[in-house]
Amino acid sequence: MSEPILVTRQLSKQFDRFTAVNAIDLQIEQGEIFGFLGPNGAGKTTTIKMIAGLLQPTSGSLSICGQSMADSPMRCRQLTGYIPDRPFLYEKLTGAEYLSFIASLYPGSSTKQTLEGAERYLTLFDLHEWRNNLIESYSHGMRQKLIMSSIFMLDQPLIVVDEPMVGLDPKSAKIVKELFKTKAAEGTTIFLSTHSMEIAEELCSRLSIIAAGRIIASGTVQSLQEKAEHGAENLEDLFLQLTGAFELQDIIVALRKDSTKN
Amino acid sequence: MYSRLFLPFVRTTSNRFLSVGSNLKTTLLGLLGLAICVTLYLLTHRSVGYFQSQSELGIILSMKIYQMAWITIFAMLVFSSMITGVSTLYLSSDNEIIVAAPVDLPELFRMRLITTFIHTSWMILIFSIPIFFAFGPVFDSGPLYLPLLLVTIPATAFTACAAAILFVIMLVYLFPARRTRDIIFYLSICFFIFLYLIFRLMRPEDLVNPEKYGQFIEYMSAISTPAGSWLPATWTSNLLSSYLLDRQIDFLLLGLILLTPLVLIFIGEFLMARFFLSGFSKSQESFGGTYRFRPPKQMKSAWRWIFRKELISFLRDSKEWSQFFMIGALVIVYLYNFKVLPLERTFGSTYVSNLIAFGNIGLSGFLAASLAARFVYPSIGAEGGAFYLIRSSPMSPARFFFYKYLFYLVPFTILTLVLIGISNHFLKISGPMWWISLFGATLICWTVVAMALSFGAIYADYHAENKSASMGPGAVFYFFCAITYMLVILFTGIKPTYRLVRGWLRHDGLVLFDTLMVAGWVGVALVLSALIALFLCIRGVRALQPG
Repeated sequence: MSEPILVTRQLSKQFDRFTAVNAIDLQIEQGEIFGFLGPNGAGKTTTIKMIAGLLQPTSGSLSICGQSMADSPMRCRQLTGYIPDRPFLYEKLTGAEYLSFIASLYPGSSTKQTLEGAERYLTLFDLHEWRNNLIESYSHGMRQKLIMSSIFMLDQPLIVVDEPMVGLDPKSAKIVKELFKTKAAEGTTIFLSTHSMEIAEELCSRLSIIAAGRIIASGTVQSLQEKAEHGAENLEDLFLQLTGAFELQDIIVALRKDSTKN
Repeated sequence: MYSRLFLPFVRTTSNRFLSVGSNLKTTLLGLLGLAICVTLYLLTHRSVGYFQSQSELGIILSMKIYQMAWITIFAMLVFSSMITGVSTLYLSSDNEIIVAAPVDLPELFRMRLITTFIHTSWMILIFSIPIFFAFGPVFDSGPLYLPLLLVTIPATAFTACAAAILFVIMLVYLFPARRTRDIIFYLSICFFIFLYLIFRLMRPEDLVNPEKYGQFIEYMSAISTPAGSWLPATWTSNLLSSYLLDRQIDFLLLGLILLTPLVLIFIGEFLMARFFLSGFSKSQESFGGTYRFRPPKQMKSAWRWIFRKELISFLRDSKEWSQFFMIGALVIVYLYNFKVLPLERTFGSTYVSNLIAFGNIGLSGFLAASLAARFVYPSIGAEGGAFYLIRSSPMSPARFFFYKYLFYLVPFTILTLVLIGISNHFLKISGPMWWISLFGATLICWTVVAMALSFGAIYADYHAENKSASMGPGAVFYFFCAITYMLVILFTGIKPTYRLVRGWLRHDGLVLFDTLMVAGWVGVALVLSALIALFLCIRGVRALQPG
């Protein structure tokens, strides 16, 4: 069995007195699409930022391909591609210039080879004709596709994605999903944070659900459904059960009562 | 290899300046810059030449001004580099890309240091060269003055910037980045207000009177006392002034000036590698806001909520409310100018003070128009992406517009009344001029606030990052119209006011015909102001309606 791509041990992050991430343990293997789900403010983005090397953990450890983030941060960054939920792009650069810039930040593979890979993704995402236009003229979806191209072209073993489908049209969303599957089949590990249960159900081989900074469930979709108390029919039911949203049923009943009164 | 991080900066700058239609703008800006440089050179040459021709004291004074200029510029650079440094190092949006990539921290430090240096220093570098260069011909300096200047100005500016960035790295290691930026921002505002007030209170108008040089130099010495020999600005000013006076170059000082930036780069790289990541990690923590505000009082009426929203948005934004300090300093200097007017030495002082009181209507109007451009004009655009809330609500745009107008009208009216009341008191104004100045200033204030709000609505930029960024060509157009309106009101009022005040001063009473003339002017001014305000407000309200 090959070495796990991402391992966290008792990983925690504290902001003053607020614990955003509380002693989480994760182990993600090569070629997995790993779903990371949780309600708003559960600690998903904080965890992702720690994996991307943007936040320092308060305690615990994190390693990527066997390299410790604390000891070899540069090596870990080299191995990880990060797609944030609200990606920043330089408005006054063209798409092609932006890709060249990103390629230059990740030495290792040849820049020429990397940019050839970028051409492929630009074509795939219908961005090729726009590559020499300023980014400020791009729509939200085009920006999302550009940042995805910039990470896919690097061909790293771990890609961390925060909310990947925001702003994408159905065609682009379908392409992204297929790309994730192809990449995973080729051996790339994808750490996917999303609020979309359909995407998680469709793509993820395993997933973890985080609430109030703690991992409250982990496993395959099927194994989690089996563990659920009230026999959840799908991932959405399971998620709602686990994250304490079972009061939702009471709320819906109360709302219906109100509407019949009115 | 090191140039890769500069790519966005270089390309962004070149794409910005080389984009379609920007050639003309760049050329015009270049010409404007050149004109300012020439003006600065001529002004400095003339002033320094005058001092130098006076006596020994004049030379001492010139050198003191030279040293003060260096220290002031150095301090300005330190403060502005600190503010920019916190933003570029810790709060830049592209940090998510660059820090997540395998980029060495010393490399990142060099990139941030150089881009911060360019951002904060280019203007000071360009405009300080003609000022300092003007000393050369006056003191008949040697041929090496200009080369020395061209080497020492960038080196000293770079030292200021690097020292500021080093300080920032340590501060952010200890405190959260946003709080640090706010603290530095307040400190720099206080520093500039201090400089502004101290310069005005020194009464530089006394410089035309050589008898007062001695007293002035005492002042200058007092405020430049903290400028110790350890300050790089003092090294530069000492090096250049010794060359200006004796044509001697102190190579030890020159070496010190040139080596300091390099030493600071090495120290900075070490500090960056040691402290940056911890500070950067802290700078992303948005959980510092553990302070909880009181629950809002129940208020049913919309106007109260609009007033409240405007007020708390202003008071909770440190960039906005801290400008009160600047306004405070402006008001103090404004009133101080009236206090120190040498009226007792003027022939016909009562006439002169009445004339000044009339001109003061224009001055207070100009101040109101300027402040309205800063605060009122961008207030509708500042609604930004949240403006859909108003547009989609049952509140009519006219009502929203009127509430905004009322909100700004109150403080502007109070400020105008305070300015006119106190300056009239200093000018010892009584009789009709008192009422005319009060009426004229209040009318102008009310109209320019309406104009600013209307132009702000017509040219609203709902996508601007902040209030200052939303001041586009519409703001210039507003200002031009506001000044034209003020001049019309003032020019039409000169003659009737002059006749009435002259008659009153001569006969100690009001002449009927003159009173009627002033009443006519008051009526015309009222109608004209109302028409202008109404016309623009209707246009402004229309612009707020969904298109």
